Amino acid sequence: MHCCSHIILLFGQAICTVGDNCYRAVTFLKEGMLVWILFLLCQVGAPALAQDLCQRDAPNGYKVRISLKTALGEDAYEWNQSEMFFFQATMAFAMRRHFQMETYNVDNIILCVQTSRVSFWFVVTSPDNTTMLIPKADVEKAVRMSRHRINNAFLLSDRTLEFLGIYPTLAATVNPDTPPWLIVFGVVIGAVCAGIIALLVSSLLQKRRKEKGMTEDGQDEEDMQVKGVENGINLDGTYNRGFTDDDRFTKL
Amino acid sequence: LIETDAARAEWDNPMQFVLACVSYAVGLGNVWRFPYLCQMHGGGGFLIPYMLMLVLLGVPLFYMELAIGQKMRLGSIGAWRAISPYLGGVGMASVVTSMYLCLYYNVINAWSFWYLFHSFQSILPWAECPANSNLTGPVEECERATPTQYFFYRETLDISGSIEENGGIHMGQALCLLLAWIIVYLFIVKGVKSTGKVVYFTATFPYLVLIIYLIRGVTLHGAINGVKYMFTPKMEQLAKPTTWINAATQIFFSLGLGFGSLIAFASYNQYNNNFEKQAIVVSMVNSGTSIFASIVTFSIYGFKATFNYESCLERVRLLLLNTFDLAEDTISLENVNHWIAELNRTHPEQFASLGGRLETCDLEAELDTAVEGTGLAFIVYSEAIKNMPVSQLWSVLYFIMLLLLGMGSMLGNVIAVITPLSDLKFISVLSYPVGLVCLFCLLLGLGFTTRSGNYWFTMFNDYGATFSLLFIVLIEVITVCYIYGIKRFEKDVEDMLGHRLNWYWKIMLAGVSPILLIALFIFYIVNYIQGGTPTYQAWNKELGKSVVTEYPPYAQAFIGLLLASSVCCIPLTALYTYCKKRNLASGKRERTVSTVSL
Repeated sequence: MHCCSHIILLFGQAICTVGDNCYRAVTFLKEGMLVWILFLLCQVGAPALAQDLCQRDAPNGYKVRISLKTALGEDAYEWNQSEMFFFQATMAFAMRRHFQMETYNVDNIILCVQTSRVSFWFVVTSPDNTTMLIPKADVEKAVRMSRHRINNAFLLSDRTLEFLGIYPTLAATVNPDTPPWLIVFGVVIGAVCAGIIALLVSSLLQKRRKEKGMTEDGQDEEDMQVKGVENGINLDGTYNRGFTDDDRFTKL
Repeated sequence: LIETDAARAEWDNPMQFVLACVSYAVGLGNVWRFPYLCQMHGGGGFLIPYMLMLVLLGVPLFYMELAIGQKMRLGSIGAWRAISPYLGGVGMASVVTSMYLCLYYNVINAWSFWYLFHSFQSILPWAECPANSNLTGPVEECERATPTQYFFYRETLDISGSIEENGGIHMGQALCLLLAWIIVYLFIVKGVKSTGKVVYFTATFPYLVLIIYLIRGVTLHGAINGVKYMFTPKMEQLAKPTTWINAATQIFFSLGLGFGSLIAFASYNQYNNNFEKQAIVVSMVNSGTSIFASIVTFSIYGFKATFNYESCLERVRLLLLNTFDLAEDTISLENVNHWIAELNRTHPEQFASLGGRLETCDLEAELDTAVEGTGLAFIVYSEAIKNMPVSQLWSVLYFIMLLLLGMGSMLGNVIAVITPLSDLKFISVLSYPVGLVCLFCLLLGLGFTTRSGNYWFTMFNDYGATFSLLFIVLIEVITVCYIYGIKRFEKDVEDMLGHRLNWYWKIMLAGVSPILLIALFIFYIVNYIQGGTPTYQAWNKELGKSVVTEYPPYAQAFIGLLLASSVCCIPLTALYTYCKKRNLASGKRERTVSTVSL
């Protein structure tokens, strides 16, 4: 509508400057009709102009796909004209944020080919010249810069608010200084080594205790029997287990 | 020169012995081999040949090994030498095979440790692909394969393209292997005194985890598909001979016969221990655990298959919605297939433009992807676990269970090596045989942590202890029944137990088992010859999957060496003893332990 008023004003100025000696009374009616015709044309023409800029597979446009039910399930809001307006506003914000000099407005974002999937195409026009489209690469940079803000505005994520052709940057893998597995490994191997040391120390202590016990009251009876030393005489034989009096049949 | 059993260590009570046998027999094979066989050979129907082989082959041979160990009260080398001086080589062959097993088996425990330690993160590392360097997408290798495969092949193993391409040692793996060996050392350093206490835990805790997993498994969405698929018997599979042969092989290897571990365990028994009942109990427990574990595995399979199927349907739904720009709630997961037909009819050109992107989702096909071995344990299971809620907890539980199963079996393997060695007089001169064996196995085992290490691992797994074991046990049975004599054996058993051998044992040991073993043996040889060049699965980085590759000539020679080195012990020792006996003067005779008088 902005452009229409511009055109009418310009034309009106042009008419008046042409003839200072214009027959105001006669031409006034003609002017009125002209203006009215121009106005009508503008109403029809402007969207047609915008339609030429924004279409399916537009070279400088992007397709946006929104999956509300996937993202929000029960809490999904309805996608209507207000949401479309919000989208235009968000995109204008993204463009402003990227190109800090230029003042983009809601009218600079043109949407078309809306489907029930919810998907649509959009193009961005320059604020200075509404027939000129911003190239694809610049739009991409702007979107990438503010992707997080755009997602959050709609309570969506990279996966549910898709700009086809602009791939989200994956989160960088966090590499901690000590990998966590090494910490657990250190704990376990420390415990195991402590166990081994405890075992060795206890066996050492046991041996020392046994030695002390042996030197005090001579060799054990059993040792003597086993080694074949009975009554101080060395017998050259093997211990016959048949004469031990343990249970004949051990149960399971 | 064998030490007499003057002050031989003993189990504190018979329960420790039973738990040690259970802990040894119930190992990773029950979890990752039996479910695969069950699926391949007709589900519930496979139980018939399995149980039959258990009765005909498994229990009698198990009984025989326990009897020998308990009677001779020596490790495998001493025991076989006592039975027949010419066949002392059987014990040597057992020790060599056990040594090979010790070398590579602990690497599995190292992997279990690696996965266990990596489970303590908010996002499991095998749940998502890492981003590539430009942060534009996931790493290509990960994209072509799956995140779980990528984590196993790239981050755990850093596998090379083939067995010829060597690389450096993976430091993380080496550290985990070191830890595994330190723990094994800790468990056996004090002999049966320490082992006896450890087996209380390693034998019982896996069952606790299995029960927890069973409850979790059957309550998962889609688990029932897997269990139904597994138990639906396909009786036509019973007509194929491979089914019966696989059943026999599984029973045989699952019980751990021929390694000398059972002989070693039984040698620490009281002389009159009632091993007959214990043999039956342990065999039944082992088979029961296999069936129990396969229920758990199949409920997990069903969950994974259903998850993948529904993800596939979701992708197709999204593709249809996006291509035809329909509103989100028009297509749901249930009517995807209906809509495919509908859209094909109404918009044929647009539908044709979809081309290859339209996937066909098939639940049966997902369930059919039967995997065994390390692939099942570390890839399929971890894929299922990452989709469960609170996945870190389930991951930790699962890998602790794998560790305990593996450690329990490792104990048996290492004791099978150490017991006969420490019986030999010249070894016991060395102060720390246990430590030295562990150190030796650790250093050689580091070879399996190199970039091509997994291929060598597979080689050892497939050839190191399969064929040789069959041969060893065959010679064992023939020795006991025909060379030593079934009559003498009967008398020994009566001496220990108090009652004579049942007709069942006699028929099985003297008749049925040797015949079955010979049949298995012949089958293996025929299969090996018919199979052509041995092949292995090499991981291809570009394709993101395994490709079948032939072994290079030096690897094939190594396989031959593996097989020959254990089998040759038997004839070589027989020859050596024969020569020695011939050269001895008639007066001085080697002192053999007379088995009848004891």
